[in-house]
Amino acid sequence: MGIGDIWNLVALQPMTNVLIVLSHYLFSNFGLAIIALTIIVNGLMLPLTLKQIRATKAMQGLQPKLTELQKKYVKDRQKLAQEQMKLYKESGLSPAGCLVPLVIQMPIWIALYQSIMRLLAVTPEDFLVLSQSLYSWPLVYSTLPLGGKFLWLNLASADPYLLLPILVGGTMWVQQKMVTLITVDPKQQAQNRLMLWMMPLMFGFFTLQFSSGLALFWVTSSVIRIVIQYFVTGWGGLIPERTGKQAAQDKKRKQQWPGFKKHP
Amino acid sequence: MVGCAPTTQPRGWSGGVLADGKLFLGSMEGKLVALNASGGAQFWSTTLETTKQGSSFGCAAPPSSVAIYGTPAVFEDLVYVGGYNGRISAFNADSGALRWVYPREGNLEPIVGGLIVALGRVYFGCSDGKVYALDAPTGDKIWDFPTGNKVWATPTIDGNTLFIGSFDKKLYAIDATTGKGKWENPFETQEQGAIVSTPLVYNNAVYFGSFDRYFYAVDATDGHLRWRSEVEAGRLFWAKPIIYNGTVYAPCLDGKVYILSAETGHEVADAIDLGSPISSSPVLIDDAVIVATEAGKVYSLDTKTNESKLLAELKQKILAPLFASDGTVYVHTQEHETLYALDAQTGAQQWSVGLTSK
Repeated sequence: MGIGDIWNLVALQPMTNVLIVLSHYLFSNFGLAIIALTIIVNGLMLPLTLKQIRATKAMQGLQPKLTELQKKYVKDRQKLAQEQMKLYKESGLSPAGCLVPLVIQMPIWIALYQSIMRLLAVTPEDFLVLSQSLYSWPLVYSTLPLGGKFLWLNLASADPYLLLPILVGGTMWVQQKMVTLITVDPKQQAQNRLMLWMMPLMFGFFTLQFSSGLALFWVTSSVIRIVIQYFVTGWGGLIPERTGKQAAQDKKRKQQWPGFKKHP
Repeated sequence: MVGCAPTTQPRGWSGGVLADGKLFLGSMEGKLVALNASGGAQFWSTTLETTKQGSSFGCAAPPSSVAIYGTPAVFEDLVYVGGYNGRISAFNADSGALRWVYPREGNLEPIVGGLIVALGRVYFGCSDGKVYALDAPTGDKIWDFPTGNKVWATPTIDGNTLFIGSFDKKLYAIDATTGKGKWENPFETQEQGAIVSTPLVYNNAVYFGSFDRYFYAVDATDGHLRWRSEVEAGRLFWAKPIIYNGTVYAPCLDGKVYILSAETGHEVADAIDLGSPISSSPVLIDDAVIVATEAGKVYSLDTKTNESKLLAELKQKILAPLFASDGTVYVHTQEHETLYALDAQTGAQQWSVGLTSK
């Protein structure tokens, strides 16, 4: 048994069959099944997601100190590394703390993505491949083929009205903006700007070409992550909290505005 | 996580048809090819025209050739073929010159099933959910009949009635002259499956396998259910069955050939396990059913003993329906696309011809 067969057996097949069953119970609607399974998978992975968000937030808290160290030891790389490790140790954090939950989640997302693609079975060849992934539950066979219509979309093809690419790009942008660290370091700012725009634009572009079923999965995932992120960290970089100095400046600016009237 | 090929490119698996010593089949390069049936020498080949599909954005390349899944058909001096580009084309059988294309402009949804020619008309099903009848000499549309979902099946005609299955889980009987429905939905159960396999008419009954893993026989006149097989297959039915001497041979994607009584649906012998999915429709030669598996093995099933014998091991994927003439069985393979002519008795290779231009 090769690694492909193992992957098929433990990840792809279960997810594919669960999607079919969900579709059966959700009014034979594959779009609803995609949304439901994305919510279920997100729910199951919530502890890992929360761990990752908290670790990332804690890492962001260390950022000013890390920047200071970078400035201080700009010419001594070895010392910089030592001091950074010391700082992580003292604060009980590890850069891997952000990555490990993400790495664990990746195969699950890939399986979900591949299951959706497999179930869309656009070509006859796809259908023959799909037929070999089905469990012997009678429900599975009587549910196939899955209906491709959802709202205005044909789930097997790209959205002709471009609404879905905008939704995919927009929700990803919001999510990215929420996790973006506010920094005064110009280098970091440039990097943040790149991250903020690159992923949403890239996925929005993919959505122009890829099946709507997949884009539906991306939008649902992004919305769920926005909600989780909000409950853990608030709006984050999307609506940054103002410092006392900024608030005072705003107040002064408002008072200088000709139309400004202080309410009683 | 994301790539440039989210779904498989359609490649096709056309069967072949023989007429006047010529053999016509669709190649995986989107060509209709005419070969000499006795040696494989090529008379002519013509490329089906691709149509623009999808948007111009992104990284998925547009299809460079038309996938041909359905077996072509011959009527008088014309050979007809349907393509995944959603067009039916008619070519002169001698020269390969294009006579007509339907639709005249644009295209339908992909055509996956084969077409049949009868009563001077070309009949076929389409992914747009309709069954079409065209005038065979001119390609003019005579009627279309709507079903509830994609039609990937090949129709069968008996007298003036056309039988065809649909993804909407119904089998339809349509008046071949007028295009009016005679009956539909013959099932008595609720959890029936979609139908892709070509139905077979025998003794005023229509036989077909379904996605629900059962095999059915319904009355050809009014569509009432005669029987549903007791045995539930391991996977869905895709290929066309064979009926010989009152026995149904139903190949299945679970790799087995089910042997059922045409009268009652009971198993008359244990299913023969060939170990690999069977999507290629078998052929009957004398009293042997010749079956090919996806794994590239060709078997002969003796209808007297219901035992199988390995005829040939081609070691290439076989999805296309088999076809036969004068004791020769023709096998169209997928990888290194090749057409093999095998002796149906011994399995000896009479000739083979590569169909790729590379």
